[in-house]
Amino acid sequence: MRDTLSLLFYLMRLRVRTRLEFRAALLITWLAQAFGYAGIFASIWLILTRFGTIGGWTWPQMAFLLGFHTLGYALGACFTLVQLRRMEDIVLGGEFDTLLVRPLNPWAYLVFSGFNIEYGGHIALGAGLVAWAWPQLSIAWTTDTCLLLAGGLVSAALITASMITIIAACALVLGRARYLFGIYFDFWELSRYPASIFAAPFQVALLSIIPLGYMAYVPVAVLLGRPVPYLGAFAEIAALSAGPLSAVAAFFFWRFCLKRYQGGGG
Amino acid sequence: MTAIIRAEHVAKIFRQQVRRSGMLGPLKDFVMPVTRPVNAVDGISFDIEPGEAVGYLGPNGAGKSTMIKMLTGILAPSAGTVSVLGRNPQAQRVLNARQIGVVFGQRTQLWWELPLIESFELHRRMYRVPASVYQRNRADLVEMMELSAFIERPVRHLSLGQRMRAEIAMALMHDPKILFLDEPTIGLDVVAKDVVRKFLSRINRERGTTIILTTHDLQDIEEICPRLIMVDDGKLLFDGTIAALRVTFGARRRLTLEFAQDPGHVELDRAEPAGGEGVQRLFLLPDDQRPLLHILSALKAGADLRDVRLHEPGIEEIIRTHYQSKVSA
Ligand SMILES: Nc1ncnc2c1ncn2[C@@H]1O[C@H](COP(=O)(O)OP(=O)(O)OP(=O)(O)O)[C@@H](O)[C@H]1O
Ligand SMILES: [Mg+2]
Repeated sequence: MRDTLSLLFYLMRLRVRTRLEFRAALLITWLAQAFGYAGIFASIWLILTRFGTIGGWTWPQMAFLLGFHTLGYALGACFTLVQLRRMEDIVLGGEFDTLLVRPLNPWAYLVFSGFNIEYGGHIALGAGLVAWAWPQLSIAWTTDTCLLLAGGLVSAALITASMITIIAACALVLGRARYLFGIYFDFWELSRYPASIFAAPFQVALLSIIPLGYMAYVPVAVLLGRPVPYLGAFAEIAALSAGPLSAVAAFFFWRFCLKRYQGGGG
Repeated sequence: MTAIIRAEHVAKIFRQQVRRSGMLGPLKDFVMPVTRPVNAVDGISFDIEPGEAVGYLGPNGAGKSTMIKMLTGILAPSAGTVSVLGRNPQAQRVLNARQIGVVFGQRTQLWWELPLIESFELHRRMYRVPASVYQRNRADLVEMMELSAFIERPVRHLSLGQRMRAEIAMALMHDPKILFLDEPTIGLDVVAKDVVRKFLSRINRERGTTIILTTHDLQDIEEICPRLIMVDDGKLLFDGTIAALRVTFGARRRLTLEFAQDPGHVELDRAEPAGGEGVQRLFLLPDDQRPLLHILSALKAGADLRDVRLHEPGIEEIIRTHYQSKVSA
């Protein structure tokens, strides 16, 4: 176990080193990402200056939500997205076969050897927004709120990693997964707004089978003391357990698909 | 001795999706996919003893890679059992992986962006190779495969030949008991092929590593593998030595005789005339181990023999004849 952990950590360091060899490229990626998000956030800010609120959320509240969403997402995606988005090619190109002949769990190999510091830009932006908004929202610094903030972020990271894993696992069986990533990102974009602004069936979906509502909306609403539809008093516990539950689901789904893996041809 | 690799009535059936034509084809394929079974491996059995070097041969699509994938734990057989070092390679994938080496000629296991030596170091950690063993193996393998000139270079800058030498060296870094190679010489030039062949045959002899390799290049087998397993269409065609292959497929030696002047009618005991006229005559000799002198002694005393040529068919020829007869049948 300790050997395996140190091996996974070593894989991560190797990947970081590879990335650092192209420092200029990395810097540009960071900036490009930060500007991309800043553009989207600025347009939301503009809407808020004009209309005052979105579904009753003011700009500082909205900024907190966006920051939380970006941060939670980046924490999960830095371990998963860039490499697992390629899963289709990994399977069809036979790279997955080469992982299966190594004495290591192929998912762990992919996740750690693909650890991506390009998410530094996201993390700085998300943390910055949260840090800026928190004092303006007069949320108390109590153990409870701190736990919810940290736990909610971990949960969001787990949701992200789990959903990406589940989609990637489809490639093991179907040989295809790219279009599913497209669908995931459509929902993901919506999940940066308060779920309460959407139609009821959509809200239900975001709080159940597509648990993206727990990415940011539910934990942030609880921190802000806003009511959460359908969940009520269970909102906090739901926010904290959504991540671990998705992880369990992803674990079993990955295993299910791996058992049915039939090779990538050739 | 007990077998190190055993395949018993192994079959692998893939389901391949049938693509429908027409405008609604893709939609139909999505909603109600139609699949058809492909018998990639069809009831194959063999035993391989420790220390053997076996060539696994067959045309495209014969099921060679599929067999390698089942033996290395990548895929489970649809029927029958495979056992490698006494284990089920898929059920005990990680344990199996520690004791085998696998090289895929068509894909790399090296870390593309990093210097070659970093891939070796990662391999050492992944396979938990003790430091002393690793030092010794690396020194040996780098020397044998002449890797020192580019060991510090990023893998993406290596030529295919250099890379393949590195892949094979890496696969041996943890002293595997068995080395599986799926088309290790594909795309290599004559010189690089030669280096790889000599190396594999040396590893097999000196370390006693069991080798099983698939290939299209018969020379690989002639130089590395005393034993040949031939498959086609998922089925076993032949399993034995190359000499036995000649007998099985009735490969006959061809004898050409050249006379100073037309000898008229020539008859040789148990040799079938196969054309030629005037001073040159051709015969097919049965594979009966008779010495050539013995055969020639049957010639008439006055025959003025100028030249004698005996042509041994290579396995390539034997196999080509075999496939051709199958196509025409
Ligand atoms: N993952 C897969 N899904 C469906 N069919 C497959 C799959 N892998 C292989 N096949 C089919 O199984 C058969 C055997 O394939 P295999 O790759 O084992 O052949 P091969 O002997 O290695 O051929 P080659 O010399 O071209 O490498 C082929 O008909 C192939 O199309
Ligand atoms: Mg093949």
